[in-house]
Amino acid sequence: MKSFVSRRLYSATLMVVVLALLVYWTLQQKWTLGHSSFGTGYVLLATLFFLALYNIRKKLPVLPWASSSDWLQAHVYVALGTAVLFGLHVDWRLPTGFLESTIAVLYGATFVSGIVGLIWTRTIPAKLARVSEEVIYERIPMLRSQLCERAQEAVLEAVRSSGATTLGEFYSERLHPYFESSRRIGYFVRPNSRLRRRLLAELTEMNRYLSPDERETCEILFALVRRRDDLDFHAAMQWRLKMWLFLHLGLTYPLLAVASVHGLVAHLFDGGVL
Amino acid sequence: MPQMEVIANRPRRWDVPFGDAMREEDVDKLLQIEPFRSIDAERFPATLPLRGILKNDARVNYYPDGAIIVRENDYGSSAFLVLQGRARVVLAGLPEEVLGRPAQTKPGFLKSMLRQWRNPSLPEVRNQVAFESDLVSNDSHEVDELAETRVFVQDVPRLLENSRSVVLHAGEFFGELAALTRSPRTATVLADGEAVLLELRWQGLRDLMRRTDALRQHIERLYRDNSLRVHLRETPLLAQLPTEHLEAVAAAVRFETHGDFQWQDTYEPYTSKPAADAFASEPLIVEEGSPCEGLVLIRSGFARLSHHFGNGHRTIAYLGKGQVFGLGESIEQVAVEEPVRAKASLRALGHVDVLRIPQEVMRDHVYCNLPEHLLAEAAKKHALYCTKHFCSQPGKTLGGEQTQVETPLLEFLVERRFINGAQAMLVDLDRCTRCDDCVRACAATHNNNPRFIRHGPRHGSTMVAHACMHCVDPVCMIGCPTGAIGRDMATGVVEINDLTCIGCSTCAESCPYGNVRMVEARDAGGAIMFDEVTQQPIHKATKCDLCVDQPMGPACQHACPHDALVRMDLGNLGELSHWMSR
Ligand code: HEM
Ligand code: SF4
Ligand code: SF4
Ligand code: SF4
Repeated sequence: MKSFVSRRLYSATLMVVVLALLVYWTLQQKWTLGHSSFGTGYVLLATLFFLALYNIRKKLPVLPWASSSDWLQAHVYVALGTAVLFGLHVDWRLPTGFLESTIAVLYGATFVSGIVGLIWTRTIPAKLARVSEEVIYERIPMLRSQLCERAQEAVLEAVRSSGATTLGEFYSERLHPYFESSRRIGYFVRPNSRLRRRLLAELTEMNRYLSPDERETCEILFALVRRRDDLDFHAAMQWRLKMWLFLHLGLTYPLLAVASVHGLVAHLFDGGVL
Repeated sequence: MPQMEVIANRPRRWDVPFGDAMREEDVDKLLQIEPFRSIDAERFPATLPLRGILKNDARVNYYPDGAIIVRENDYGSSAFLVLQGRARVVLAGLPEEVLGRPAQTKPGFLKSMLRQWRNPSLPEVRNQVAFESDLVSNDSHEVDELAETRVFVQDVPRLLENSRSVVLHAGEFFGELAALTRSPRTATVLADGEAVLLELRWQGLRDLMRRTDALRQHIERLYRDNSLRVHLRETPLLAQLPTEHLEAVAAAVRFETHGDFQWQDTYEPYTSKPAADAFASEPLIVEEGSPCEGLVLIRSGFARLSHHFGNGHRTIAYLGKGQVFGLGESIEQVAVEEPVRAKASLRALGHVDVLRIPQEVMRDHVYCNLPEHLLAEAAKKHALYCTKHFCSQPGKTLGGEQTQVETPLLEFLVERRFINGAQAMLVDLDRCTRCDDCVRACAATHNNNPRFIRHGPRHGSTMVAHACMHCVDPVCMIGCPTGAIGRDMATGVVEINDLTCIGCSTCAESCPYGNVRMVEARDAGGAIMFDEVTQQPIHKATKCDLCVDQPMGPACQHACPHDALVRMDLGNLGELSHWMSR
């Protein structure tokens, strides 16, 4: 097993060497022929197809491909390299034509989404692992309603055994909405512990008005509020991990399509080499 | 529902005998010879009579000269008794070419592609029509397979020139350890001239040994006479011992068995106890602080090494097959010439077979032959923990052989007995993006049915997912009435034969780790199949098959983009610590 550090060093060096060769090649073409756009264009299109091929590799795991982890390594370094290639292709100028601008925007968005996604895939898992419980995304709704039921039962039981309704009222007013509904979209964009802290503080405040029986239930509610918040955190973060990839993939195919059209058009205008 | 009525009756253990039917006269004959003659038939219950075991769990095999009876490193599930002729146990490894192991075939590109194409959309669809005759089979394919591939060792004398071998005569047993401990064969055995052997499948052997001491003693005596020396030679310091001294050591070795053979029955209560109580319930082999009484060699199973810490016990390491306990103390005792106490406790995790070599024997026959500096070196090299005199790394608890893994993780792996897993699935939750590519890959390679759950007990950011670990000691196999769950002879992978599985869920209940799942089977049309008699849905046991037929190995590991998932031998701490520190 190679360590991650040595793998990174190796791939980065390889990438730099290949890029240096590419730059040298385009410069040479420029000196001899006057323009290199067809050369870089073909290489760029080929690399984009290679990057998109990763999706096919993932879809067909039964075929004897190289491992997905090797693919991702190649994907990330080749994708980073395309930035230089893209720059060479457009001669480091912003494109002006409609088709060209569309490609640039699509490419830019795919590239940026790739970078952001890479950062997320490398940072979010550890945050999730710090949460007490590991949950499978698809099970979250079921776990949520279980928590809600347990909270409700605990409160009903407390009302029954203590005869007091203080906790019951607090529950139906403050906690039940929390347990019953899902978080607002703002939480998914930027998960935080504000609501959890506020509810826990309110529960602590309530404690002084409670009977001994209710106080026991209060402890249970403390734990349930925390678990629910952990679940929401998992839901939000796992959702983010899924959504970015969805977006990244969603940008890929339009990019490929438009880039291919652009290639065709370039040939047609170049005097019908096709 | 076209295939609803296929399964009429659920097969039971003796529905189909082990081999060609044994006749009553054959059983009579067997009962005339040792060790069966000394077995008290009265001690067997009416449902499991001695005659019944011999009739149904045994068969008589004929071997021509030079035929291979068992092959080194194959996973066997039966023991053999020489009836006529001789069998030669070849102790040193024979070259692979003469053993005629069949090459594993994997599907090519097109076949793989077709397979994904054809994956049914509904879960648990079975395409094969199961005929009743398919439903039962005997579980020892070993002999059949060897006979089919007709492995003969042609030029026996020349081959054996360079190997040590032992000849077994009529009345002698072999292969019982591999059969009973569900472990690989340690030697190849050939027919030396024409030979006739009785083959006993492990279910029968176990029932016999349980109810009679005679057989156990018989087998132990044979082991002592035949293979013990080889095992001793593999022990530190004994490898070069002059023969007469080795003989003395062999004569003094004591056999012991600790813990329950069917330890899976107590696993659930064991793991739900507080750690200290669970620990205390593990059978003690050597107690910390007790006077050193010699060496303990682990023959099979696992044992926990621990020492007192605060009000409890801290796990230092675990020992498996072939490892030695007490060497440091034993040597120290000779060096300082005064009583030395055990620095750590040794406890059985599950079922453990050990050999004990008494201290006097070590002193008089081993240490006296070796200079002091060699002893000191050996003590350091094989130290599992520090003794007063020998500490290879001062300040550290472990010596040279075991790699360090942080103690809490070690406690977790030992307590839950994950160390049993030869192919455990570990997920690094610090890297796993929960993308489920692993699950999808498993489904794609298994007719759309994922064979594991990406969830399971965790310690910190290391999760042991619910995937079959292809255990060193696969206790799931113990109760299977048809032998549908068994080890692949060559790879050791634990597999379920879907055709012979009767859905009794014994294996699912026996797997301590909850890694077997019972599912409702569907026919090719997608309808759930029903048992004709009970009108209940037909269940099948399913679990990870380690992608034995996949060209790239475990698809789950291969599909993980983030290097978060590995299949790993948890019996090998080195591999684990390497992975943790990538
Ligand atoms: C610029 C053109 C790019 C294209 C066409 C492209 C295309 C793709 C495709 C098709 C996938 C497979 C998605 C799936 O099937 O799940 C993928 C995954 C991925 N891409 Fe890109 N990508 C590009 C750039 C980048 C860049 C610049 C980065 C980061 C440096 C990046 C990082 C990733 C990562 C981390 C994944 C996989 C993550 C996972 O499986 O969890 N990509 N990309
Ligand atoms: S089913 Fe369970 S006991 Fe059997 S090999 Fe797999 S993990 Fe081990
Ligand atoms: S090894 Fe194969 S069968 Fe086992 S869990 Fe992985 S993908 Fe599934
Ligand atoms: S494929 Fe890897 S990263 Fe994705 S869920 Fe499985 S273990 Fe986690």
